[in-house]
Amino acid sequence: MTTQAIGTSRGGIDAGIAVRAYLAVTGIVLLLMMLFGFTMRLAQAQWINIEPNTFYMILTMHGSGMVGITGLSGAAVMWYFVRRHVPVSTGVFVANLVFFLVGALLILGSGFIGGFAGAWTFLYPLPEHSGGLWSANAAAFYMLGLLVIGVGFLLLHLDVLRGIISVYGGLGAGLGAKQAFGLAPEKDGPPPAVAAATMASISNIVGIVIGAVVLVLMLVTLYVPSFTFNTLLAKNLIYYFGHTFINVTIYMAVIAVYEILPMHTHRAWKTNRAFYLAWVLSTLMVLTVYPHHLLMDFAMPTWMLIAGQIISWVSGLPVLLVTAFGALTNVYRSGIKWSVAAGLVFIGVAGWAIGVIPAIADGTVIVNSVMHNTQWVPGHFHTYLLLGMVAMMLGFMAYIGGGRAPSRLGPAGLWTFLIGGAIFVLAFLAGGAASVPRRYAVHLPGWLPYDRVGVIGAGLVVIGTSLLVTRFFLALRSPMSGDGIR
Amino acid sequence: MIQNTVWDVSIILMGSVAAIFIGVAAGAPVALENYGPAIASAYRMRVWLFILAAVVLVAVNWRTLGELPYVSASAQGTPGIQRVDAVGEQWSWTISPTHFTVGETAEFHVTSKDVNHDFALYGPDMRIVTQVQAMPGYTNILRYTFKKPGIYRVLCLEYCGIGHTEMMSDIKVAAAKSVTGKTP
Repeated sequence: MTTQAIGTSRGGIDAGIAVRAYLAVTGIVLLLMMLFGFTMRLAQAQWINIEPNTFYMILTMHGSGMVGITGLSGAAVMWYFVRRHVPVSTGVFVANLVFFLVGALLILGSGFIGGFAGAWTFLYPLPEHSGGLWSANAAAFYMLGLLVIGVGFLLLHLDVLRGIISVYGGLGAGLGAKQAFGLAPEKDGPPPAVAAATMASISNIVGIVIGAVVLVLMLVTLYVPSFTFNTLLAKNLIYYFGHTFINVTIYMAVIAVYEILPMHTHRAWKTNRAFYLAWVLSTLMVLTVYPHHLLMDFAMPTWMLIAGQIISWVSGLPVLLVTAFGALTNVYRSGIKWSVAAGLVFIGVAGWAIGVIPAIADGTVIVNSVMHNTQWVPGHFHTYLLLGMVAMMLGFMAYIGGGRAPSRLGPAGLWTFLIGGAIFVLAFLAGGAASVPRRYAVHLPGWLPYDRVGVIGAGLVVIGTSLLVTRFFLALRSPMSGDGIR
Repeated sequence: MIQNTVWDVSIILMGSVAAIFIGVAAGAPVALENYGPAIASAYRMRVWLFILAAVVLVAVNWRTLGELPYVSASAQGTPGIQRVDAVGEQWSWTISPTHFTVGETAEFHVTSKDVNHDFALYGPDMRIVTQVQAMPGYTNILRYTFKKPGIYRVLCLEYCGIGHTEMMSDIKVAAAKSVTGKTP
C-alpha cells in the first residue's frame, strides 16, 4: 500500500496548501450562498422586498453554488484521506479547483450580469424561454460554467480511480466487492476511505458524463432554435446528473466520519461484510434511483416509477443500518473527549440519517402526489445536506484548521449551527406539510408563519457557520492540525 | 389527510433517531470497561432492526403501490368521468370546464405549450389534493373525485420563470344535489 503524507510536494505543488485552498474557497462561497438563502427566506417572510426576477436569479445562484461547493469540499475530504492509501496527483487536484473557480465566475456572471434565472436544475426548455429576462448568451455562460466545473471533477475522479486501480488492481477490489459477497476475508478489504472514494468516483463519472451530454444539447438549442429534443428525455438526463452529483457529495464527505471519529474514540471503524455490501449496493442504487424525481411525470414508463419508489426505500437502509449504526457503536461509551471536529462529523451522520426519513416519505408515489415541489423537498434535502454533508465538511474544516483557533469560537459555532439548522429544516418541513410551494418568490399570507420561523433558523445557521469558518481562517497560519493527529 | 400522517410519522421517527444520537453522545465520554460484549449485542440488535426495516419496507410498498395515480391508456375516457383540458403556458392556465359538483370525477388532460409546469390542485383549505407535471409534447392524465364543495385552486409547482407564482386558476365545486333536487 502507498502512503502519501499530506504536505509533500508533487510537481512543485504543496498538497497541504491545496487542501487549505479548497477549504478557504469553501468557507467563502458557503457563507455567500447561505446569505443568498437567508435573503430568500427574508423575502418570502415579507420582511424585505425584492423583485421576483432578483429572487429567482438568487435562487439559481444559491442552488448552483451550494451544489458546487458541497461537491468541491466533498472532493477535498475524499482526496485528503484517500491519498493516504493510493497515489493521486496534486496537480489534478489543484486543476479541479482552478476549473471550479473559472466555472463559478461564468455562472456568477450569467446571473449577476446576464440575469440568468433558470434554476440550478435548468429544466429544458426553460433556459431558452426566459420571457425576456435573460439572453441566450447568459444561459450559455451558465451552461458553460457547469461544463467547465464538470471537466474538473471528471479529471479528479479519473485520477482517484487510477490511483485505486494501481494499488488494488480494480474497481471491484476498491469497493470491497469480494468481501461484500463473502469471497475474500473481511480483513483484506480496502479501508473505508478507499471504498467510499471508489463508489463516489464511479457514480460521479457516470453522472457528469450524462450531465455534459444534456448541457451540450441544450447549448445547441440556444443558438439553433430549430434543433429540439425530447423534453422528457432531457428531464431524465438532468435529474440523473443532478441527483448523482448531489448525493455523491455526501458519500465523499462521510469519509471524514470514518477517519475523524476513530481518532477521537480510539476504536477502528469496523469494516465487515455488511459495510462493504452497503457500499456496493449504494453504488448500484445511487445510479438507478433517480426516477423518484419524476414520480409526477405520468408519461414515464410506470415500471420505472415503481422502481424509483422501491429503490428509494431500499437505499435508506445502508445509511441507517451501516453508517449511522457504525458511528453510534464507534462512539458508544468510548470515553471520547468531544472536540468541535468530532462533534460536527457526529452531527453530520445524525443529520444524514434523520434526513433520510422525510426523503423516503417523499419518494413514495402517493405521498409525492401531495408533497412534490412543496417545501417538504427543501426540508428533507437541507436536513441531510446542511445538517448532514455540510456538518461533516465543517467537521473536516475544524480538524484541518482548528488546532490553534480561539477555543470558544468552535463550540459557539457548533451549537448555533445545530440549533439554527434544526429550526430551519423543521420550518421547511412544516411548510411542506401545509402545502407551501417551494421556489415561490411571493408567498400568500397564510404561509408567512413558516417563513418567519425559517428566517430565525437561517439567521442562526449563518451566524454559526460564520463562527466556524472564522475559526478556520484564524488558524490558517498554524500547522495543519490534521497532520499532527494522523 | 396524507400530509398530516406523513408529518406525524416523520417527526416521531426523526425525533427517535435524534434521541438515540443525543443519548449516545451524552454517554460517550464515560468509557465502557468491556466493549466486546456490548458491541456483539449491538450487532445482534442490528440484525433485528434490519428484519424490522425489511418488513416495514415490504408492507408499506405493497400497500402504497396499490394506489398509484397513473391512469392506464385503456382506462382513459371512461363513461361518467368528466374530461377536463388543462394547458399551462408562461404564465397562466387554460382549464375547461371549471365547474363541478361534489362526487364528480374529473379526468384532467394536462399539457404545456412551452416549458415544464406542474398542475397542482389545492382544496378549499389550500392543501394540495393531487398534482401532475405539465410537459410540452406530452399529455398527462390525472383523475380526481371532488370530495368537498368550495373553490379549488390550481397552482404551478414547477419553476417556470419570473411569473411562476402568478399561475393560479380557480375551479368551482358545488355541493352535491340530493335526490329531491335540493342542496343538502
